[in-house]
Amino acid sequence: MSDAVDTKPSKRRETAFVGQSLKKTYITGETQVHALRGVDLEIEAGEILVLLGPSGSGKSTLLNIIGGLDRPTSGQLWYRDTELTALNEAELTRFRRASIGFIFQFYNLIPSLTAEENVRLVIDIADDPMPAKDALELVGLADRRHHFPAQLSGGEQQRVAVARAIAKRPGVLLCDEPTGALDSATGVRVLETLAQANRELGTTLILITHNAGIAAMADRVFNFLDGQIASIQTNDVRISASEMVW
Amino acid sequence: MRALDTKLMRDLWRLRGQALAIGLVIGAAMATFVMAMGVHHSLTETRDAYYDRYKYADVFVSMTRAPRSIVQRVEAIDGAAIAEGRIEQFATLEFPGRIEPVRALINSVGAGGQSKLNQLVVIRGQGPVIDKSDEVVIDKAFADANEIGLGAHIDAIIYGSRIRLKVVGIGLAPDYIWSIAPGELVPDASRFGIFWMGEKALEAASGRTGAINALSLKLERGASEREVIRHVDAIVGPYGGTGAVGREDHLSNAFLNSELDQLEAMTTIIPPIFLLVSTFLVYVVLGRIIRTEREEIGLMKAFGYGNAEIGWHYLKFAIAVALIGIVLGSSVGWWMGRSMTEQYAEYYRFPFLYYQVSASVFATGAALAFGSAGIGAIGGVRAAAALTPAVAMSPPPPPIYRAGMVEKLGRWAGISAVGSMIVRHIARWPGRSAVTVSGVALSLGLLFATIQFIDGSRAMLDNYFFRAQRQDLSVTFIEPQNEKVLTELASLPGVLRVEPARAVPVVLRNGARSERVGIEAAGSDDRLTVRVDAEGYEVPLPAAGLMLSRPLATKLALAPGDRAEVELLGGRQTRTTLTVASIIDELIGTRAYARSEALSRLTRDGTPVGSANLLIDPLYRDRLIIELGEMPQVLGLTERDAAMKLFEQIIDENIMSMMGFYISFASAIAVGVVYNSARILFSERAHELATMRVLGYHRSEVGIVLLGELALLVAIAVPVGCVTGYWLAQLMVSMFSSDLFRLPFAPNRSSYGFATLVVLASASATALIVARRVARLDMVRVLKARD
Repeated sequence: MSDAVDTKPSKRRETAFVGQSLKKTYITGETQVHALRGVDLEIEAGEILVLLGPSGSGKSTLLNIIGGLDRPTSGQLWYRDTELTALNEAELTRFRRASIGFIFQFYNLIPSLTAEENVRLVIDIADDPMPAKDALELVGLADRRHHFPAQLSGGEQQRVAVARAIAKRPGVLLCDEPTGALDSATGVRVLETLAQANRELGTTLILITHNAGIAAMADRVFNFLDGQIASIQTNDVRISASEMVW
Repeated sequence: MRALDTKLMRDLWRLRGQALAIGLVIGAAMATFVMAMGVHHSLTETRDAYYDRYKYADVFVSMTRAPRSIVQRVEAIDGAAIAEGRIEQFATLEFPGRIEPVRALINSVGAGGQSKLNQLVVIRGQGPVIDKSDEVVIDKAFADANEIGLGAHIDAIIYGSRIRLKVVGIGLAPDYIWSIAPGELVPDASRFGIFWMGEKALEAASGRTGAINALSLKLERGASEREVIRHVDAIVGPYGGTGAVGREDHLSNAFLNSELDQLEAMTTIIPPIFLLVSTFLVYVVLGRIIRTEREEIGLMKAFGYGNAEIGWHYLKFAIAVALIGIVLGSSVGWWMGRSMTEQYAEYYRFPFLYYQVSASVFATGAALAFGSAGIGAIGGVRAAAALTPAVAMSPPPPPIYRAGMVEKLGRWAGISAVGSMIVRHIARWPGRSAVTVSGVALSLGLLFATIQFIDGSRAMLDNYFFRAQRQDLSVTFIEPQNEKVLTELASLPGVLRVEPARAVPVVLRNGARSERVGIEAAGSDDRLTVRVDAEGYEVPLPAAGLMLSRPLATKLALAPGDRAEVELLGGRQTRTTLTVASIIDELIGTRAYARSEALSRLTRDGTPVGSANLLIDPLYRDRLIIELGEMPQVLGLTERDAAMKLFEQIIDENIMSMMGFYISFASAIAVGVVYNSARILFSERAHELATMRVLGYHRSEVGIVLLGELALLVAIAVPVGCVTGYWLAQLMVSMFSSDLFRLPFAPNRSSYGFATLVVLASASATALIVARRVARLDMVRVLKARD
């Protein structure tokens, strides 16, 4: 474990994201909010990265920029060979469509679609998706695939959201507080599924959490403070979700 | 301002688009109501003032010729107040360079144009001198149409003699608010004028010294018109009286009243449709507002606001929306009413015109608007009142979707996830979906029903001019001729066929019911005029007995096989009975027909010819018209083509002036309904749509969820609207029909198409405006927000 502010990954793997001097300034009314104050980063393909930090420290802003939902005010960001900061709106949409899976704190399932159809919503626009049933099997919900979100528990809904995110075999999974609304047992189950996707599909997993315990399952942890990466912690050994101290 | 009122103002501003869209629909209701009621009121007031001031008579009768002394006998009838006799003489006018026949009906007036009844209003110049045979006052419409000014000269053939008339005045009279030449279907002021000439002069010119051929009288207050008419007919009968009529059957008044009835029908059909739609819209929009403000309502209740205060707060929203409609509709309706009244003033001839919309019209319209918005608000207000604070402050339960029929159908049809989202959302909110469908359907139906009037007019034109009338020219004689005239006509160059026509004035009776009507005679081998029913099929004349038009049979309660009592008017006062052989559904007038042979057996006067129909070689048209005009016994000529063109022109003008109104009103409904549906849909689905954007759906793909649902609802609404329009058009046709004519229900397929296109265009434009909001969806907020 090291406390040095070194954004380079420890083991040499293929690089997924490279960011340089990423700044984001919001103007709300007459005040300027500096959400990101110059972030440099490199994220390896296939690693599990946890973004830790207090509210307003900039981790969600960074996640949104990585996911192509938002643009930095200045700085550059590459995903593999593509400069994301140079893409237009439609190109960013294509990038999300091809490479990114999102998982939200409040699941964001479509209430009028069953579990399977929520997964199909993504499959319908993906290039090389897995069958909806397989995705639901991965999260252990194949037998509940005809249920509507309102008929599922919170944990089950989040697992459907995970199935929806992984069904298109994305290169990157972005999770914003995926366990924030869940009890510990359900949360562990969801994290296990995410780790499984990382393991079996080689998906890069970037996770925002307030829960420091979750950091133990990551390869690396970016600690955020005031719009900057204050420190990076590298775990030589990742522990599985079930071993975690919640 | 109280905090709640501040909230109301802000809500209104925030929802200004939706409030304005509902206001438009209410405004359309208010505008049609104010316009129709305003015009109705103005025309009625103008008519009544005109009748009163210029002594429009109560009873009218024509006769062949009677001594002037008959007037005193009529005036002595119990219930008669003032009687006045006059001469009505047709004249053929000659305009250099014009070959089409121009006619005038010359009425006799006292010295300086004075008379006791049906007084002449000289608007320019002066009345004619009583015995100056060349001085006339001419009616304003004729003067305008032919650009004739004071001092102009007109050559006329009156009773066989050519007289050069001098126009000394231009005027109007209450018995000629509307006039038409005999034998014509369409009034044509350029070819038919009403003239007034000094009594002595006209007596001399028409060979009726000391005689009259028309009589009118004013009744005493409370007198029985029916009784007086009975007495008048008894006195006038021997002089060839053709049966007295009251105001109700006097042509000019009857036409004006049928117009007023149509305006009344308009207020009973059109505004309720708009009001119904606005009730739906208020219901839907307020329901949505209350669902989204659920937590605020809980909070307010927790602070101690009572149900009544909260209910009143939301009701005020409905009232404010209605107020927008009332202000918009009142001003537009007032303005439309004024331009419509001005149009009427062109068509009906009044010396003055009051345009006045009474405060009670505005008040009634406003009460209806508030009422319909209020009814729409009841559901929402009750829901707001029913929420308990604790329940209201917790988030609403998520909407429950079911895998019902829709699910199975969807799986069976293999529809995409997006397709399922659309179909299930419609099924989840059936009430609101029904409002959208019925609103758009009503908009389409209303537009179709109104343009169908044009189809109906064209069908009537086709029915009357192409199917029933095949002659090129109709020749009207000054007085009935004997059959020799037919040979004379047939010998004219270019005449291919001649058929006689005559109508015998009678009173038909069945028990206490009676109707004055002319029985039209037809020969068994007539080919130029045939009787055609509303469907356009030729109906053969029965060999014996009468054929009655449907409204006449209904009025007299006669069915085929019944015997009708027939009293001949004019000349012989014979009474007999005839069997009703058949009934015909005709479009124009209340008419009766019989074979010429049967009729002449009744009249026992041979077969005098009142007019003749000619089929001509078009190459000889001009020459024939000149030759016919020179025949002394010819009173007038009617050209079928000219009449038809005029009729078409009237229809076209109607299209130009009314189409804009129809389209904008129908669009107002479509826009109001679609805009509100789209906004509600968008606000409900914003979260889902943003989620889809995050998942990698493009704007256009996300837009499909929004537009797809609207498109599906509109697609359902189109056939529903066609059926609604079909039904509405029939209702309107039956309400707009009068004794004078019935518009057929003859929709053109392109009218369905046109109505559908207009509604689709306004619905699409509106939906696209809302769909633009998809581009502005904030995806980032979705990541954090709970739905």
